[in-house]
Amino acid sequence: MEYNIIIAGVGGQGVVTLGSLIAEATMDAGLNVVMSEIHGLSQRGGSVSVDVRIGDVRSPITPDGSANLIIGLEGMEGFRMLGKANADTLLLVNSRRMTPVYLGIRGKEYPDLKEMAKAVGGTVRILFIDGENLAREAGSERAAGTALLGAALAMHEIPVSENNVNSALSRRFSGKILALNHKALDLGMRYGAQLLKGSNVPVPTGKP
Amino acid sequence: MKIYDRVLDGLPGEKTLLLGNEAIARGFVEAAGGVAATYPGTPSSEVGDTLSEIAARGGFYFEISVNEKVALEVAYSAAISGIRSFAFMKHVGLNVAADALMSTAYSGVRAGMVVMTADDPSMFSSQNEQDNRHYAELSHLPMIEPSTPQEAKDYLIRAFEISEKLAMPVLFRTTTRVSHMRAPVVMGPKEDRLALMGTYPGHLAHVTLPSYSIKSRKALSMRISHAEVISQQTDLNRLEVYGDGEYGFITSGSAYNSLVDVIKSNSIGAEVLKVGMSNPIPENRIASFLMSHEYMFVVEELDPYLEQKVRVIAQREGIPALIHGKLDGTFPEEYEYSADVIEKALAAPLKLNIKPRTAPAVLQQIPPRPPALCPGCPHRATYYAVKRAVRMSGLNNVTYSSDIGCYSLGAYEPFEMADVLLEMGSSLGAGSGLGKLTDSRVVAFVGDSTFFHAGIPALINAVRTGSRMTLVVMDNSTTAMTGQQTNPGLAYDGMGNPSAQMSIEEIIRSTGVGSLETADPYDLKTFLPAVLRSLKSEGVSAVVARRECAILRDREIRKKGQMPVYVVDTKKCALCMNCVTNFSCPAIDIKGGQIAIDPDLCDGCGVCAEPMVCPFRAIVSGERNGI
Repeated sequence: MEYNIIIAGVGGQGVVTLGSLIAEATMDAGLNVVMSEIHGLSQRGGSVSVDVRIGDVRSPITPDGSANLIIGLEGMEGFRMLGKANADTLLLVNSRRMTPVYLGIRGKEYPDLKEMAKAVGGTVRILFIDGENLAREAGSERAAGTALLGAALAMHEIPVSENNVNSALSRRFSGKILALNHKALDLGMRYGAQLLKGSNVPVPTGKP
Repeated sequence: MKIYDRVLDGLPGEKTLLLGNEAIARGFVEAAGGVAATYPGTPSSEVGDTLSEIAARGGFYFEISVNEKVALEVAYSAAISGIRSFAFMKHVGLNVAADALMSTAYSGVRAGMVVMTADDPSMFSSQNEQDNRHYAELSHLPMIEPSTPQEAKDYLIRAFEISEKLAMPVLFRTTTRVSHMRAPVVMGPKEDRLALMGTYPGHLAHVTLPSYSIKSRKALSMRISHAEVISQQTDLNRLEVYGDGEYGFITSGSAYNSLVDVIKSNSIGAEVLKVGMSNPIPENRIASFLMSHEYMFVVEELDPYLEQKVRVIAQREGIPALIHGKLDGTFPEEYEYSADVIEKALAAPLKLNIKPRTAPAVLQQIPPRPPALCPGCPHRATYYAVKRAVRMSGLNNVTYSSDIGCYSLGAYEPFEMADVLLEMGSSLGAGSGLGKLTDSRVVAFVGDSTFFHAGIPALINAVRTGSRMTLVVMDNSTTAMTGQQTNPGLAYDGMGNPSAQMSIEEIIRSTGVGSLETADPYDLKTFLPAVLRSLKSEGVSAVVARRECAILRDREIRKKGQMPVYVVDTKKCALCMNCVTNFSCPAIDIKGGQIAIDPDLCDGCGVCAEPMVCPFRAIVSGERNGI
């Protein structure tokens, strides 16, 4: 068994926190897990990604074309990971958009990701999810990652359960923050389940 | 329980998800280490971040030294006084400490001493990808290399034991993918903690004058032969068999992980000799391993370090095995080894059936996101003002000499204010030469921590030689890039206790610079004139740009529950684009043809609202939810 998750975003968004949360939940599920982190040059504002690899694997680097699930906490950062995707990969794209200064310097605006998704065609399943809104509903936008993870849990065969994630959350957070993360996970799961029911939403299998 | 507490208090048998560097900190705790010293550097920094949090309660001493050389000397002083000690740093940090390291092998130690080097294949956050295994050969010190967080913890304890057996320091080498790999780690028991007070090292016991070293050289050879015996016997070097074991592989470190994944996913019949003790290597074991395989692959990142040794053994013993590695072009010499890299290299010799993959074309449409200074970073204001001051001063040949820190990002757009950048302290050292030997005026940028680390001797040199240089000390009151560690400019030490605080101004003044000013870069209208005056000064002049790191400031502001934010008054905005093209804060972008400030990213520093950035006064203080 092998299941590879990539979380991509921008420094400061909680990419490493979400990856660690999934890795801890995986450990609770009794499975082997390895995770890579790249702490690059900038504290905030640069591209950041982590790989969470579950099952019979040693290296923390996901081979090209081997990701089962990609969560883009920031829109274009999710797309940047497409080299790791295959025809069965589910790419969840959060609603958060952060324009790189590279574009502003050239007087350009943020690209249209929906157009980009069309260019990808049917080769990867791409779903846009308003994680910010779901998290806001739960109490804070900071929990967008948890909401997206909830959606992924409902839609894909991640080998961890809702209970695993909730107990990993309980170890990491407390009080109000914990409560809103529990809620964000739940809202995300409900939303994911609805998406699954929708006739125009393709049903991803999660199997490589 | 917080992760730091788990590192300290975790019970034997408990399984915890740990970063490689956190596991190393746990190894230090289990080994009952008494003294740890470092200078922060990616990918080693989290070892110190963890030890810093638990030192006081754990009953050991931890310091963030002024630089790696001093860190190594402090650890050495503990080890010759009978205290188990640990010095750790990034790979290039060991260059700084190398002078001390070389002689520790001659001096020897009384208690275990481990020196960790965290190498950075693929240069994720470093200026080079030097292979520090060569330091083991150069210094004649043993070297241990883990592949996983579990091994990182376990092997560190073994390294202390070997160090004590041999009475010499042991090198411990990780790479980015080991230090920054997170995986389950089973905790072990903690050894009994000894008294922290060291004892007298002994009369003339650790002197390396020539007359002493000529004798200790022989003792060093004895230690190395003893180390060779350990390497032959230790399970740090182990053999693993996959399938029919047809092909032989010799590997180590992170490459081992990727190699095993490739062996399994392609069902390759393989015997793998994993070298966990890479100096001295187990020569006899390698010789018999070579004899049992017709085809041998040496799979290692960076230089052909093991391969050269393996080839020497084959030649000396007359073993006809076909050895494949970097020297015959099978494997690349550069960058880290992912499973993809290894699979590609093995595809031809092992006739692997690999599906060709092409990167999706859409990847080329995604704009790059190079690392950027944070919203609110004072360095942005400093670069903006210095660039403008240089233009206003009429100087037409300025050379920018930069240094290691967050402010290295000044080399990127829109500032591009770095012509030279070598290593820690090079802004002043290279600046000293450039300001003396060329007709340009040098503007040197150095951070507070880097100034203390390696800048001071070079500043002395610049003043003494009459170099023409304006030094800008970008003092953000922290060692920011590696994660906000302390430095000598601050009034607390690595364990959070009050400490003596050095004054950057007093140090600079004492060298006799032509002019010295201190100004706040957030206040462009006073900061820019200070830079202008400094540029007009003869010889060496200095401006201390003092404003705390935005991340530290955020924490303070959040505690108080305030978070000011700035907004664009589109009626006043003339779309001159200065704020996006020349100031380039990540919080400011163009949306629907208008300038917009992202309220979640805005740090409220207010520099963009100053007329020098927005001459139309269109950026104004606002509320979080609209004007």
